Amino acid sequence: MAFNARISMPAEARAGEIIEIRVLTRHPMDRGGQSDGKGGTVPRKILNRLTATYSGEPIFRLDMYTGVSANPFVSFTTRALETGDIIFEWREDGGAVFTRTARLTVT
Amino acid sequence: MSLPISPPSRHSESAPSRRDIVVGAAAGIGLAALPNAVMAATQPALSELIARLTDGAVPERGRITLEIPALVENGNSVDTRIVVESPMTEADHVRWIHLIAEKNPFPDMARFHLGPRSGRAEVATTLRLATSQKVTVVAALSTGGYLTSDADVVVTLSACIDGG
Repeated sequence: MAFNARISMPAEARAGEIIEIRVLTRHPMDRGGQSDGKGGTVPRKILNRLTATYSGEPIFRLDMYTGVSANPFVSFTTRALETGDIIFEWREDGGAVFTRTARLTVT
Repeated sequence: MSLPISPPSRHSESAPSRRDIVVGAAAGIGLAALPNAVMAATQPALSELIARLTDGAVPERGRITLEIPALVENGNSVDTRIVVESPMTEADHVRWIHLIAEKNPFPDMARFHLGPRSGRAEVATTLRLATSQKVTVVAALSTGGYLTSDADVVVTLSACIDGG
C-alpha cells in the first residue's frame, strides 16, 4: 500500500494543556516531471494537503508542494479542550483521500 | 590496404585547433556571465517570492527560530523545525507559516495554517532541497504584519566528498 500513517500523540491530557501531535506518513511524494521512457513525463503525485479537525473544529492545515520530502514527517501543536476525536485527512493529487482518527481523552 | 592503427596526425574538421581553444577561452570569460542571466530570467528573485506572499509588504526580521542543519549530506529529507514567538491568542496569533527554497524547481515548499487553538506556533517537517541554498520562512500574523527568517544550508549530495 502506497499510503500509511503513524500518529504519535498523548492519549490523555489535562484541559488547557498544549499537546504536540507528530505524524509520520508513508508516501512516495512523487514530484513528477521525469521521463516515463515513452516520450512523456511522469505526472506529479504528492499528498497536497493535510487537515486536522478536533471534535469537528479545524485546528490545523498543511499545504504541501514538491518541496516536502518523501515519507513526510509533520509536527504541530493543539490545546486540549475536551475529549474527542482528532481526524486527520490527507488529499492526494488525483483526488484520493486518506483518513485516520486518533482519540484524545481530556481529564 | 590495411587501416592505420592510429589516425594520421592532421587537423580534422571536428577537432578544435590550438587557435580555437585560445579564442574560445577568451570568449568563455564573457559567456560565464550568461548562465546567471538565464537563471535570473527563469527563477524569480527571492524578494519577488516573498512579496508575492505578503502582497508587497516587507516582512520584519526576527521572532522566528528556524532550526535546520547548516550542512546536510543529502537534500532528499532535511529535518526542519520552526518556532514563532507569539502569544497565540484570538487577537494575536500566527495565521500561517510558509517555507521557500529559492533554488528548488518549485520554490514553494509548504504552508502551515495555524490558529489560536494551536497553543504554540511550533511546527516541524521534512523538506526536499535541490541544492545548497538559503531556506526562507515567512510567517503571517493576525495583526496584519509579516515576519521572516532564513538560514543557509549546504547540500553536499555525496557522502564521500572528503575522499578519506
